[in-house]
Amino acid sequence: MKSVVFAVIKREYLQRVRSKWFVAATIGAPLLFLALMLVPALLAGRSEQNERRIVVVDETGVLFEQAVERIGEAGFEASLSERNDAVELDSLRARVVRGEIGGVLILDQATIDRGAMTYVTEKQPSTIRSLGLRQAVVQSALAVRLGATDISEVRALLSGGDIEMDIVGEGSGFEDVEFLQAYIGAFFLYMSLLIYAIQVMRSVLEEKRDKVVEIVVSSMRPFDLMLGKILGVGAVGLTQLGIWIGSAILILMSGLPAMLASNPEAFDSEFIAQVMPGMSYAALLLTFFLCGYFLYSSLYAAVGAMCNTDEEAQQAQFPVILLLIIPITFVMMVIQEPRTTLSITLSWIPFFSPILMFARAVGGGAALWEVIGSVVVMSATVVGVAWVAGRIYKVGILMTGKRPTLPELVRWIREA
Amino acid sequence: MSDFAIRLSGVTKTFGKHTAVDGLDLEIPRGSIYGLLGPNGSGKSTSIRMIMGILHPDSGRVELFGEDPDRTRREKVGYLPEERGVYRKMKVLDLITFMGEIRGVAPSDGKQRARKWLDRLGLPEWADKKVEDLSKGMQQKIQFICTVIHDPELLILDEPFSGLDPINQDVLEEIVRDFHAEGRTILFSTHLMDQAERLCERVCLISRSRKVLDGGLRELKQAERRGVLAVGFEGPQEWMQGPDVQRIDGVGEDHHLILADDADPSAILNRALAAGVKLRRWELVEPRLHEIFVRHAGRDAAAVDGLPRDAQTAGAAGGAA
Repeated sequence: MKSVVFAVIKREYLQRVRSKWFVAATIGAPLLFLALMLVPALLAGRSEQNERRIVVVDETGVLFEQAVERIGEAGFEASLSERNDAVELDSLRARVVRGEIGGVLILDQATIDRGAMTYVTEKQPSTIRSLGLRQAVVQSALAVRLGATDISEVRALLSGGDIEMDIVGEGSGFEDVEFLQAYIGAFFLYMSLLIYAIQVMRSVLEEKRDKVVEIVVSSMRPFDLMLGKILGVGAVGLTQLGIWIGSAILILMSGLPAMLASNPEAFDSEFIAQVMPGMSYAALLLTFFLCGYFLYSSLYAAVGAMCNTDEEAQQAQFPVILLLIIPITFVMMVIQEPRTTLSITLSWIPFFSPILMFARAVGGGAALWEVIGSVVVMSATVVGVAWVAGRIYKVGILMTGKRPTLPELVRWIREA
Repeated sequence: MSDFAIRLSGVTKTFGKHTAVDGLDLEIPRGSIYGLLGPNGSGKSTSIRMIMGILHPDSGRVELFGEDPDRTRREKVGYLPEERGVYRKMKVLDLITFMGEIRGVAPSDGKQRARKWLDRLGLPEWADKKVEDLSKGMQQKIQFICTVIHDPELLILDEPFSGLDPINQDVLEEIVRDFHAEGRTILFSTHLMDQAERLCERVCLISRSRKVLDGGLRELKQAERRGVLAVGFEGPQEWMQGPDVQRIDGVGEDHHLILADDADPSAILNRALAAGVKLRRWELVEPRLHEIFVRHAGRDAAAVDGLPRDAQTAGAAGGAA
């Protein structure tokens, strides 16, 4: 590689990695992410402590004994009321209103007959909560009626059975885990492409604003400068991703065995193994990130070269952002129906491939040849886009004043 | 090896309908201090940008050291653009090192040279500060260092003195003189004729995208000499006017009489004595560069294009300098 390009890469890379912004973002982003996940759960947990405490009025006399454990599994802390007359009921209602308990569950013969029950509460519980409560009671009612002493024998039946899918042929459906991986991965690509490509634009703008660009391009070809910027910022992106992924692996390697050892029942190791993304997933993510990054950072370099201020750039980048927003709006559909003509067509469009072909590939909705094919198409597009962007860049970096109109832009590209 | 550091032949550049440089021929001998003079918007910066390969001429040829200018030869050139700029967020030492690196100076070597220059310009303690923390005058010094960090054969300075405080003007002049003393070539553009007169050996005058005249400063002045009469006197002034005097310029307490081609200085002296003035000074002088320029480009060109600087008319020639 040319030494001037290397000098630019080094400058862009060191300037960024040494900045406080980089340290803050690298440490802050995962913390923010954790906070966003944990804080609502903690808050919810605290406020629900009383809500989860319920009192059961059992007129049948047999149901509570059967149900208490299942109600507990559904996330409630159930206690039996001592009496079940009207006076007791009134005092229980009052305790509900005062918020001392979450609710009163009233079970009677109708519960055993047809699964009907009443729940006295101050506010509507979530669907999952009420479903869990209902199932716990209905299963207990079934157990009472079947008279089975060892309910565990029919537990699997009572819980609704299980169906295992044996998919023959290519298989186009997504399992839950793959759905999650495809969706999170696609969103991650969207965010990281946007963040790092915009960094390139900022760098171009800064160079124009500081009026340093003329000195620099008197010593190298503008294209080399653009290339150096893109590679330098890209290296920053890879460094940041590397730090995140590396520390995540470290935490999992050191923390997970400890957690499993301390509480083996809390973690389903089989499930964890399934959810943990494998090497092929990482390879896909990296490949599509790199293709997408080169594509979008070239576009953003051109946008930066056209503008003089941040405000101008905000407006001028709209068409480029649109190219990223379109695939992210279709990503759900493409994940769910990866083999429709629309999904296939969209995922082959090079500007959408980084997100959509990735999403299809993760779930096995795209064959290997499609992945390789789209990488080839994207690479070819990168060459074309870089050529056009390079010409816009070459003219634009030395321009001050008004932003070019579309015809002017075409002239730049032709004449550069 | 060519005797010329820079040679332009028939170089033309247009922007849309505006012709910024029109068939410019220029030969800048090695080792000379060469001034490219002309009002704002006359095509000086465009010419320099073409020499630097930032712009490409529509027609004509640019040679540096006798060959096509390419990157290698550009490493021999130190360039200070009219639009000064530095990476404000960088540390001083890193900035200078980077500027050397993109012109082929290894970083370790560049750091050493940078420190030497910082010492010389009295800024050694600022090496690890960010550029944006420096005062404007100090930033200007840093820019000089960036321009010369790769020890160029040829310095190209576009309006180097505009916007400089007096101290930095002296610093830059000293650097220029040192480079000249070492046998290097310096080309600078300016619209300040006095500055050019002090520094240049050779000049090229440009007006409205075209070359008006060029040559050695001394020869130019001698060739133009007989035409200017400097007079200092007390008394009436009417005698100065006549068909043999084209124009009268006030220069300090004295006057410069720009004579018509067939004027006889004795006739004017007779007129002065007849008017009874008390003469202090009476001499045929070297014309000032300004006068030469005006004589050749025409007073209109000078006035419209904005000569001298404080008489600039905004947006002359579309601002495409």
